[in-house]
Amino acid sequence: MSETLVATAADAPREGDLAFDEPYRSSRDDVYAYAAGLVRDRAAAEDVTATAFERAYRKRSRFDPRRGNGRAWLFGIARNAALDELRRRGRQAELSAEPIDTTSPNTEHSELRLLLIGALEKLDARERELVALKFFAGLSNVEIAAVLEIGESNVGTKLHRAVTKLREVCDGAF
Amino acid sequence: MERSNEYEDVAVALAEVKPTPREDFAAELDELVAAGFPRKSRSGRPWALGARFGRLSPQRLLFATGGAALAAIAIATIVIASNDPATEPVALDSGRRLDSRPQTQLSEPVPQAAPGTTGRSTGSSAAGSVTGQSTESSAAAESVKEYSTSLPNSNSSYPTLSRTTHREIERSAEIALLADPADVADDSAKVFSAVHDARGIVLRSTTTAGRNAGAHFDLLIPSARLGDALAAFSTIDEVRTRHEATADITKPSVTANEELQDSRARIDGLLAQLSTAEIESEREAIEAELRGERRHAARLRSQVARLHQRADFSRVSLRIESDSSSEAPGGDWGIDDAFGDAGHILGIAAGVILVGLAIVAPLALIALLAWLAHRLWLRSRRERALGA
Repeated sequence: MSETLVATAADAPREGDLAFDEPYRSSRDDVYAYAAGLVRDRAAAEDVTATAFERAYRKRSRFDPRRGNGRAWLFGIARNAALDELRRRGRQAELSAEPIDTTSPNTEHSELRLLLIGALEKLDARERELVALKFFAGLSNVEIAAVLEIGESNVGTKLHRAVTKLREVCDGAF
Repeated sequence: MERSNEYEDVAVALAEVKPTPREDFAAELDELVAAGFPRKSRSGRPWALGARFGRLSPQRLLFATGGAALAAIAIATIVIASNDPATEPVALDSGRRLDSRPQTQLSEPVPQAAPGTTGRSTGSSAAGSVTGQSTESSAAAESVKEYSTSLPNSNSSYPTLSRTTHREIERSAEIALLADPADVADDSAKVFSAVHDARGIVLRSTTTAGRNAGAHFDLLIPSARLGDALAAFSTIDEVRTRHEATADITKPSVTANEELQDSRARIDGLLAQLSTAEIESEREAIEAELRGERRHAARLRSQVARLHQRADFSRVSLRIESDSSSEAPGGDWGIDDAFGDAGHILGIAAGVILVGLAIVAPLALIALLAWLAHRLWLRSRRERALGA
């Protein structure tokens, strides 16, 4: 059976879609950075990013601003997509053939960058996710708490622990 | 309290290693967003409709589900109401459909009457309607069965018992007609005419004029013509109610006949004794006994005649009624009927909803529990994928 891309009337961009375009443009790179930081694979990160935005697009009418801001909602979807990807591939944020550092146009194999990458590798997956949400995606602690469904103070504690570990590994390099 | 300043150095350092998407991927994703994420679709997929429902917002889904539930309740209510005789009070209780409806036969056919007893229990009278009090009909049929097994064997020494080999069925009927007060007099005249045509007897009649006009008739109709007479009465005006009943009087008829035969035999014997008696005192004693036996035989004859009359003639109670509801404009269906029907329909709808809830509620609970379990399982699997 032939498989074709079909844009049905229901899928066609509508007036309300303008409201999706703005958060998409402001979050696209952040979502990708978070996904890449979590799954540690460029192709997987792209899949996760595309899946996350598609799910968000389909579910955009279900978004309730009273239950949290749109950014937290979007990253919640991205997180589920990333975890599904990890689960599907049976991997746990391991280094892959296409590590994230090589995908960056800012790549400069400086000593500090290598040190940071090594330090990130030493974090466990949850800490790495926290770092990705905080420093790659730029979420506030409140938003991170909403994404991870934990308390804000808990976020602060865990983040402090992760940053301390990073600093220890980098040994005062920054 | 966030420690932005505290992490500023880390943020600056990590910004250097922040992954950024490839330009071609970003462009491709931009296109997908601009196109509204066109779906990979195969024509004729059975789950396409489900996916379409899945894309509906909760409010729209709620409206759609509510609409479907309302439609289902309405359809079920209509189906049940249309099958429920109680929702057709006009049609069944007072409609004219009864007029031309063929009359139902007794569930257990009555044996054919012997010549000379036509119209008693068989023939056209057997075809008389036995609608209405079916319990009585079945009880009568039951008594027929019981008595058939207890009857003595046919014996030529009981010539009159030939009659008792057939059922003696007593019939009665009640019929109420609904008439306009102005038509009561005409309808009464038609009743008399119908009784005359059926060669029946009017035992008693009462006719009232005025706004609450009405009439009541106690009639005796030959059982053989009962069906025709009831059909004729039904055409006079609108039939409001009609009940018919039967009773098997075979057993008392047989008993009375047998006793009468015995009495006649005793009279014959006494007459024979009288003819041979030579002593005056003996003759007087036999004559006294003979008078007593003759009185007894007369009573029995009267009893037998009454039983025969009960079988030969059916009692019919006929009422012509008029009430304010019949004067309502637009026919015989008024505001009271509307309220009654509305209440009945609401009752059925409530019943349908209750039954529906009894079916749907457990299923919904199971579905909810399954959905919650699935969510928990999925969440647990996702967290395990990250934490392991």
